Amino acid sequence: MNSNSNNSNNQKKRNFQIEAFKHKVVVDPKYPEKTWKILEHAIQEIYNHNASGLSFEELYRNAYNMVLHKFGEKLYTGLVSSMTYHLKEMSKSIETAQGGLFLEELNRKWIDHNKALQMIRDILMYMDRTFIPGNHKTPVHELGLNLWRDNIVHSSKVQTRLLNTLLELILRERTGEVINRGLMRNIIKMLMDLGPLVYQEDFEKPFLEVSADFYRVESQKFIECCDCGDYLKKAERRLNEEIERVSHYLDGKSEAKITSVVEKEMIANHMLRLVHMENSGLVNMLLDDKYEDLGRMYNLFRRVPNGLSTIRDVMTSHLRDTGKQLVTDLERVKDPVEFVQCLLNERDKYDKVISLAFNIDKTFQNALNSSFEFFINLNPRSPEFISLFVDDKLRKGLKGVSEEDVEIVLDKVMMLFRYLHEKDVFEKYYKQHLAKRLLSGKTVSDDAERSLIVKLKTECGYQFTSKLEGMFTDMKTSQDTMQGFYTNHGAELGDSPTLVVQVLTTGSWPTQPTVTCNLPAEMSALCEKFRSYYLGTHTGRRLSWQTNMGTADLKATFGKGQKHELNVSTYQMCVLMLFNNADRLSYKEIEQATEIPSSDLKRCLQSLACVKGKNVLRKEPMSKDIGEEDAFFVNEKFTSKFYKVKIGTVVAQKESEPEKQETRQRVEEDRKPQIEAAIVRIMKSRRVLDHNNIITEVTKQLQSRFLANPGEIKKRIESLIERDFLERDNADRRLYRYLA
Amino acid sequence: MGIQKDRVRLNVGGKIFETTATTLAIAGRNSFFGAMFDEDWNLQPGSPTDHLIDRNPDCFAVLLDLLRTGELYIPSNIPEKLLYREALFYGLLDHVRSAKWGPFDGNRLRLSRSITGRAPGDGTAIRAGPDGGCCVAHGSMVHVYDWMLDEHPAINLDYQRVNDAGWIDSDSIVISACERVGRGDGGMGLFSASTGELRYKFNVTHDDQVKSYTAGALSFSSDDKIFSSCKGRSNEYGIGVWDQTTGKQIDFFYEPPAWSLGDADKLQWLHGTNCLLVATLFPRKDNCYISLLDFREKKMVWSWSDIGAPVFDEGLLDERRVRDAIAMEDTSSICVVNEYEDLGFMDLRSTGGSVRWSSRSRLMKGKMPDEPCYPKLALHEGQLFSSMNDSISVFCGPDWVLTSRLRRSYGGSICDFSIGGDRLFALHSEENVFDIWETPPPPIM
Repeated sequence: MNSNSNNSNNQKKRNFQIEAFKHKVVVDPKYPEKTWKILEHAIQEIYNHNASGLSFEELYRNAYNMVLHKFGEKLYTGLVSSMTYHLKEMSKSIETAQGGLFLEELNRKWIDHNKALQMIRDILMYMDRTFIPGNHKTPVHELGLNLWRDNIVHSSKVQTRLLNTLLELILRERTGEVINRGLMRNIIKMLMDLGPLVYQEDFEKPFLEVSADFYRVESQKFIECCDCGDYLKKAERRLNEEIERVSHYLDGKSEAKITSVVEKEMIANHMLRLVHMENSGLVNMLLDDKYEDLGRMYNLFRRVPNGLSTIRDVMTSHLRDTGKQLVTDLERVKDPVEFVQCLLNERDKYDKVISLAFNIDKTFQNALNSSFEFFINLNPRSPEFISLFVDDKLRKGLKGVSEEDVEIVLDKVMMLFRYLHEKDVFEKYYKQHLAKRLLSGKTVSDDAERSLIVKLKTECGYQFTSKLEGMFTDMKTSQDTMQGFYTNHGAELGDSPTLVVQVLTTGSWPTQPTVTCNLPAEMSALCEKFRSYYLGTHTGRRLSWQTNMGTADLKATFGKGQKHELNVSTYQMCVLMLFNNADRLSYKEIEQATEIPSSDLKRCLQSLACVKGKNVLRKEPMSKDIGEEDAFFVNEKFTSKFYKVKIGTVVAQKESEPEKQETRQRVEEDRKPQIEAAIVRIMKSRRVLDHNNIITEVTKQLQSRFLANPGEIKKRIESLIERDFLERDNADRRLYRYLA
Repeated sequence: MGIQKDRVRLNVGGKIFETTATTLAIAGRNSFFGAMFDEDWNLQPGSPTDHLIDRNPDCFAVLLDLLRTGELYIPSNIPEKLLYREALFYGLLDHVRSAKWGPFDGNRLRLSRSITGRAPGDGTAIRAGPDGGCCVAHGSMVHVYDWMLDEHPAINLDYQRVNDAGWIDSDSIVISACERVGRGDGGMGLFSASTGELRYKFNVTHDDQVKSYTAGALSFSSDDKIFSSCKGRSNEYGIGVWDQTTGKQIDFFYEPPAWSLGDADKLQWLHGTNCLLVATLFPRKDNCYISLLDFREKKMVWSWSDIGAPVFDEGLLDERRVRDAIAMEDTSSICVVNEYEDLGFMDLRSTGGSVRWSSRSRLMKGKMPDEPCYPKLALHEGQLFSSMNDSISVFCGPDWVLTSRLRRSYGGSICDFSIGGDRLFALHSEENVFDIWETPPPPIM
C-alpha cells in the first residue's frame, strides 16, 4: 500500500520526487500502547472469569497487528509482566488459605491458570507461530508453566508448605487414614506438568527420603515383635500399598524408586535376621511345610540383591544336614526300602516346596539336585539300596498298582539313580537282583521291568543295559525251548517230575561259581534227557547246571496223612528227597549224599528244620543253629492251614560284609578296562596331553557310569605305558604321547 | 438440531460466508478457527450473530475452499503472496503448502517458476530443503529461499568461498568453506535458515589442537552425523565426522597413502550398509577415486580407481573419464557418468571390478556447447536423474531407460541440481537463475 501511494504521488507531482521519500508513513505513536491496553485488559478479564464479553476475533487481530508492525517484543514483555502480576495475586490467595484448604485453593488456582493460559495462547497464536521461533523466546504455553512454577510453586511461602502438606497426607494415609486422593492426584499432576525436574526435586526426592526413614523405624519395630511369617506379611502389605499409591496419584516412574526404598528398608536390611529367625525362620518354614510363607519370602526376597541366594544357601545347607543325617543314620540303614523311601519323601517334599512356593525356580532345583547328589553319595551303599528298593517294588510293592503309578515310582527311582556317582555299582546289584527276580519268577510285571530298562537305557546308553536285555531274551528263549522239549519227549517221559530249565547265556547273568550237587536219580535222568535234546538242537554249546538257583515243588504226605505241596529250593529238594528212603539222616550223611557246599547246606537245613510253621524236618538236638553232629527226621506232626507251603531259604537279603567286599572288588576290577579304554580313546584323538588334562577328560567321559578315582587313573596310565600304548615325553615328564 | 448447530455464518471483510463448524475444524486446533470455536471463547457455532472477521474476503474464499476440498486454486486476480499472508494469519500456511504441489514424480514435472538472483559469478551448488525451500551457493555467499520462494537473509562463513551446503532440517543449513590461513576462518558452520545467523561452528581437532581446515563435500546420516571432506594445514586430509546435536567432532578417517579423500567432490551416506561413499573426480585430481568407508571398522570396504587403466588414445580416455558417481543401494551398484552423459555401472558387492558402460547414443559428441557443464547425477525413489548441458534426463526401470527430459529455453547449461521437498531445483551456470520443477497436484479423478 505504501509503495503504491508513493508511486501515484510521484506521477502527480514529479517536482516533489525527493520530498516524497521524506514522507514516512508513521504509525500512530500511541498505537502500540493502545493495542496492548486492550490485550492487557482482556488478559485481566480472562483471569477474572469474565471473558464472556471478549471478542476473540478482535483480540487475535490486535495481537496479529502488533507482531506485524514489529511490536512483538512489547507484546511479549507485556504478556510476561501481566501474567506475572496475576500469578502473584493468585499466590496471595493460596498463601492465605487455611490448613486443609491450602491444597484445594492451589488446585483451584491451577485449574484457573490453565484455562486462562489456553485462552491467552489462542489470542497470541500468531505471535507464537511467527515472532517466538525467530527471537529465541519461550512459547506462550511453556512460558505460562514456567511463570507458575517460579511465582507459585517456588515462592518461599508455598514451596515448603506444599511439600510438607503432601508428605503429611501420605504419612496419614500410611497410618490408616483416608485422604482425598483425587486432590493429591491433581496436585502431583501439576508438578509433573511443570516438568520432570520439578516433580523430582520438589516432591519425589524428599518423598523417598521421608519414606526411607518411615520404613526404617517401622521395620525395626516389626522385627522386634513379629515372627518371620508375620513380618513378611506386613512387608508385603506395605509394598503393595506403595505400588497402589503410585498408581493412584504418583508418576508411574516413581514406582521402581519407592518400591526399592521399601525393599531396602524392610527386606534387604533385615534379610539374614529374617531367614535365621528363631522358631519361625526359613528352616522352620521348611520343616512345617509353610508353603504360603515360603512363597511370600521368595517373592519378597527376589526383589533385593542376593535375596534369593540367601534363601537358597540356607535351604541347601539345611537340606544337606538333614540328608546327611538320613543316609548315615545306622537305624535306617538296616532297612534299605525304608531308606530309599525316606529319600524319595524328602525329595517329594522339596519338589513341592519349589513348585508351590519358589516359582519352580531353576536355580532352586539345581540346588536341590546338587544337595541330593552330595548326601546320597555319602553312603557308599546307596546304589545297592536303590536297587533293593526297586527289587522290593518289582517283587511285590507294585502289585495292584495302576500302570501310571508304576511309572511315577520308576521315574522317582531314576531321579535318585541320576544322583549316583557309582552307577556301575548300581548296575552290578541291579543285575543280581534282576536275575533273582527272573529266575524265581517273582517279578510282578514284565512291563514295569522293561520300562525301567528303557529308562536306564535313555539315561546311560545302550551298553549299560545290553546285558540286562540279554537276560530277558534268555527267559523268553527258555520258554520256547521247554515247549519244544515237551513236544518232542512228552510221551516217553510219562509221569516223571516236570522239569523247567532256564538256559542262561554266560556273561549276561551275574557270574556264580558253578558248584553242582547230586540231584536225585529221577531228576538227574530227566536233566540228562534235556541236555541231549538241547545240545541236539544247538550244536557247539556247553550246558552247566546252576543248582544253587533253582526251585522245586514237592508233594509230601506226613504222618497223619496230611498232604501238602512244598515249594522249596533245588538244594532243599535234594535234601528232602533223601527222606523218601530214610527216617533218620545225620548231617554228615546228608552232606555226603548231596555234596551241597556246607554253608549252603546249613542254611538249607536251617530253613527246613528251624523255622516255626515251616519245619517239615525235625532236628536233634533241638536248637537254632545247625551243627555238624546233628541228626534229622521227618516231622510227622507237621501241620499248616495252607495246602501249599513255601519254605524260604534263610538268606540275608542285604549283602553280608564279605559279600559286599566281593562285589566291591568286582566293581573295581570291571572299572579298570573302562578307564583304560577311555584313556586310549582320548589319547588317540589328542596324541599328546598332560597329566591333569587326562584326569579331567577321563573323569568327564566316565561320569555317567562312575566317579573315577584319580589314583586309579594314574595306575591305568602306568599300565598302558608298560604295555607300550603311551609314552612319557622326554622333555616334559608331565606330557604323555600316544603310540599308534 | 445437530445440523443447525453445525452451521456457521461468517462475515469476512463485509462478505457473508456460510459454512459448517466441521469444515472449519479441518484447520486444526492450532489455527484461528480451532481457537475461535473452542468452548472457552463462548462462540458456539450456530449462534444467531455473524462472526465478523476483518480480513480479505477473496482470499478467505480460496482458503475456505481449501478446507472444503483439500485442493488449492488461486484465481489470477489474487497475488500468491497475499494469499500466503492471509493463510499465515489463520494458521493455514501448512495446509496451503501441502496442497500447492503434488508428490514428486520425475516423469510428471512441470516448470513452476524461475528465480533470478543477484550474486556475481558462477553458482557452486543448489540444495533443496526438506519442505520445499532451497539454498544456492554462489562464491562466498549462500542465498536461502523458503517454499514460497521468499528470500531470507543470506549466509556466509567469514566470507570464505563456499564448497558445499546442505539442509539438516527445515530450519538448519550447514555450509562448508575454504579456510583463511592462520585465522581460523572458514571451515564448516551451522546456520538458521530463517534468520541466517550462525548457530555453531565445527572444529577439527588433531592431537588436542584445534586446526583450521578447508571443508569440502558434505553428507548427513540419519543417525545425526555430519560428514565432510577436510583438508588441513598439516596434512590432516580425510573425512571428518561430527555429531549434529552436540557439534563435537567424533571421528576422523585419515586419507590412506595414494588415495584422495580430503579433496572429495561427493560424499553420500548409505543407510542400508552404514557406509560412506567418497568420490574424488577429474578435473580436481588427474584420476578418479571412488571408495566406500566403514567407520565402525575404520576400513575402506570397497574401492575403484581409474589409475593404470589402459589408454588407447586420448579421445577414448575422455570417454572413460568419470564425472560424477552415485551409489544405488537397492541394486547394490554405483552409477557413474562421463562427460557425454553415458551412464556406467559398477557392482558394489565385489571390489576391483570395472565399469560397464551402457551403450546409449552419444548424440552429445561433437555438439558440445562453448561452456560445457559436467554431468551431475541424482537418485530419488527409484528414478535416476542426470543433468547435461541445458537439460535433465530421467531414467527409470531396472535397465535405466530414458523416460523424460526436462529443458528450458534459456539460462544456459545446468551446473547443479537437487531434489527435495517434492521439488526439483536446477541451477544454471551462464545466467544467475534457477528453476523450480514441481509435480502438479493429483488429478481430480
